[in-house]
Amino acid sequence: MSALLRLEGVNSFYGPVQVHFDLNLDVEAGQIVCLLGGNASGKSTTMKTILGLQRPGSGRVWFDGADITGLPTPQVIRRGIGSVPEARRLFPAMTVRENLLMGAYARSDRAAIATDEERVLGLFPRLRERLGQRAGTMSGGEQQMLAMARALMGRPKLICMDEPTMGLSPLFVDRVLELIQAINREGVTVFMVEQNASLALGIAHYGYVLQTGRIALQGPAGELLRDPRIRDAYLGGAARDGEGEG
Amino acid sequence: MGGAWFDYTVNGFVIGNIYALLAVGLALIYGVANLVNFAHGSVYVVGAYVGWAAITYLDTPLPVTLLCVVAVSALVGVGIERIGLRPLHGSSRIAPLLATIGIALVLDQVVQLVFTPDPRAVPMQVPEWRVAVGGGTIGALDLLIAGIGLTSAVVLYGFLRFTKLGWAVRATAQDSDAAQQMGVDVNRVNMAVFAIASALSGVSGVLVGMYYNQISTAMSFEATLKGIVALIIGGLGNVPGAIAGSLILGLTESYGIALFGTSYRNLFAFVLLIAMLVWRPNGLFAARRALPPEPMTGTFIARSRPVVVPRWAVAALVVAAALLPLLGQPYLLQIGANSLMYAMLALSLTLVAGTVGQVSLGHAALLAIGGYASGLLAMDAGWPVALSIPAAGLVTAALGTLLVFPAFRLTGHYVSIATLGIGEIVSLVILNWTGLTRGAIGLGGIPPLEVFGFDLGSVEGTYWLCLAVLVLLALLQLRLLRSHLGRTWRAIRDDPVAARSYGVSGDRYKALAFGFGGFAAGISGAITAHVYSYINHETFGASISILALTMVILGGLGNVAGAVLGATLLIALPEAFRFLAEYRILIYGIVLLLLIRFRPQGLMGTV
Ligand SMILES: Nc1ncnc2c1ncn2[C@@H]1O[C@H](COP(=O)(O)OP(=O)(O)OP(=O)(O)O)[C@@H](O)[C@H]1O
Ligand SMILES: [Mg+2]
Repeated sequence: MSALLRLEGVNSFYGPVQVHFDLNLDVEAGQIVCLLGGNASGKSTTMKTILGLQRPGSGRVWFDGADITGLPTPQVIRRGIGSVPEARRLFPAMTVRENLLMGAYARSDRAAIATDEERVLGLFPRLRERLGQRAGTMSGGEQQMLAMARALMGRPKLICMDEPTMGLSPLFVDRVLELIQAINREGVTVFMVEQNASLALGIAHYGYVLQTGRIALQGPAGELLRDPRIRDAYLGGAARDGEGEG
Repeated sequence: MGGAWFDYTVNGFVIGNIYALLAVGLALIYGVANLVNFAHGSVYVVGAYVGWAAITYLDTPLPVTLLCVVAVSALVGVGIERIGLRPLHGSSRIAPLLATIGIALVLDQVVQLVFTPDPRAVPMQVPEWRVAVGGGTIGALDLLIAGIGLTSAVVLYGFLRFTKLGWAVRATAQDSDAAQQMGVDVNRVNMAVFAIASALSGVSGVLVGMYYNQISTAMSFEATLKGIVALIIGGLGNVPGAIAGSLILGLTESYGIALFGTSYRNLFAFVLLIAMLVWRPNGLFAARRALPPEPMTGTFIARSRPVVVPRWAVAALVVAAALLPLLGQPYLLQIGANSLMYAMLALSLTLVAGTVGQVSLGHAALLAIGGYASGLLAMDAGWPVALSIPAAGLVTAALGTLLVFPAFRLTGHYVSIATLGIGEIVSLVILNWTGLTRGAIGLGGIPPLEVFGFDLGSVEGTYWLCLAVLVLLALLQLRLLRSHLGRTWRAIRDDPVAARSYGVSGDRYKALAFGFGGFAAGISGAITAHVYSYINHETFGASISILALTMVILGGLGNVAGAVLGATLLIALPEAFRFLAEYRILIYGIVLLLLIRFRPQGLMGTV
């Protein structure tokens, strides 16, 4: 088992509605892997499945060589997965600093937390100026940075990011993508969900395309970028046609 | 004069501190669990009795007494979380609230069984000295209570601000999903919060016992209510707000007593509650006036396919019921008539709480209005009973709708709290409007049932009349449910926003539901008044509201046949098991808990 994260034959349901159909997916250690797909294709559900927020009907989730299927979320986090949730989900009434420290909640090594705080603030200098500000009063871009910084504070082996560029101006999107690369260079594996294929594939090593709950396409990022079918995956009608073929 | 005012201020402040110990816990629980804990006052009573028992049997000094109270109350709190909250994760919002009502019934009855319902005096554990200040006096107990209130506030602040668990509590309150994704074990946080909140509630109980030198099992409901009022004043989930709200409430009550007398005390509290809900539902300290859309929406309706009873079976049952008097068993008929009167109330509640999704916790007030209206029309205006009863139905329809009207724009928990408060206000107005209602003396000598000269005062007569009225009301309600009106009601319940976007004015339809429901409940109350021949402001109390809710849930919310079945079962079964009479409330509580957990759609299914 070489992959850091592996989803094996996952079928997910919300009540009677099936969202994932035999989902198989690997995230290699040290890479940036992106999961692309249109609205409601099941991307966020994939994240929830990994994080233990949503229990799959069948199938397994492996992380770092261990089966983590059905583990409660706090335990999944303790095993070294960090989360940047969809729409950031900061603690709005807590300060920036408190949010950062919440990111380290699962750890108890005080000294190391302090040095990590320094390191993370080095990566996100903007946050240093705002340590005492309430998270809810920051701009969308700043909030996204804080969400990423908060996840880093847990010293994760793998960070799961759900649409980290959602709702950001082009300038901030570039900034966030650079930061993701920087995080990755520090040795953290990144698994990110994105709607914007060209941006995500621009920084990723490997990509998957999810269509109505099935992996429709996968490959090294460079190859996917050149694949004409990638475009089709984002046209609603085409996606449904594709489902008929598969 | 100035000295008296000083004393009233001290008294208000002390009572405010006692409320604060209650309300802070409610706020913490609401914060992490989005739940108004209706069992909170029961823990307060447990605390009071544990304190009493420790002092009486073990002769504990004050600090040890408090320690015992804290430990036992915290344990009870943990139990509430495990039973009332955790298993209901993922069910509709109102389910845990109803579960806490069930737990309250169970806890209250258990305390009553263990300690008997007789009031007890809590031995004073502080010296009896008082010092004169500014014309008034302050006693050692006043200082103790203020000291405990202040210390608790400071410790709580430190806990939330400087401990890891405290951070987890705050994070969970702000976004529990996100907190989990930081590695916070939300179950543990909930458990800790319930333990802390319950410990404070228990301490509050024992302090009240010392302050009034008396405790009884009857204190629980009022404590819950007062805590909730303080909570609403401060804003749901706002901890400092809860403290401020408690002090405001305590002072308001104390000055109210000074100006108008003791019987007005609670009236002030509940009028304050309704005023807050109408004008500032987010509390005094929130900038926003609009209610947060989430997580208050959502009803208790668990989707299900209702059990279909064939028409001939219903007809056969009605005929069988009509023939029951031929058995010549007056006792059976009395129970039957009682069940039928409750069934009318249940019909009304199932419409309001089930079909329209407004879970009312003050429904018994409609009985009171109906009972008093008919009684007074018959006695003071000399109307024949055959006219006064339907007139009482109409009066109740109008008055009931008018009273809840301010609450129409509320949803979810707020509706339940508002109806609870309105119910209490009705009973307090009856108590205080002596000129009309004869006040505390009550209404005696209400003429017996009689229709155009036919005396229906006999058991058979009463039974037949109730049966006929119930059948008529049930048929009418079924008819309404099948009509366009019924569909609109359900649409408002299921998706108020969408209903509004189709141009449906929710208020008007809610008013129609409360109108019809008020009519049925008013008739029920009126008949009851004539059967009992004596009623007072406590005849139709909150426990009847809760019982009616249990009936309706048992039958299946919104389900007409279910309402009748639920009423019959809950009235008749305890009679069949008379040896269990002592445990009746306990059984109601357990039934409620089991239903919410295992069969939220009730016996007959929701409609
Ligand atoms: N809690 C839930 N209950 C019921 N259905 C859900 C729930 N969460 C998601 N779904 C449904 O599952 C499907 C997949 O949702 P998911 O959030 O995984 O999509 P997504 O790919 O992340 O979409 P988006 O790009 O819009 O974020 C959708 O049809 C959605 O309606
Ligand atoms: Mg998504």
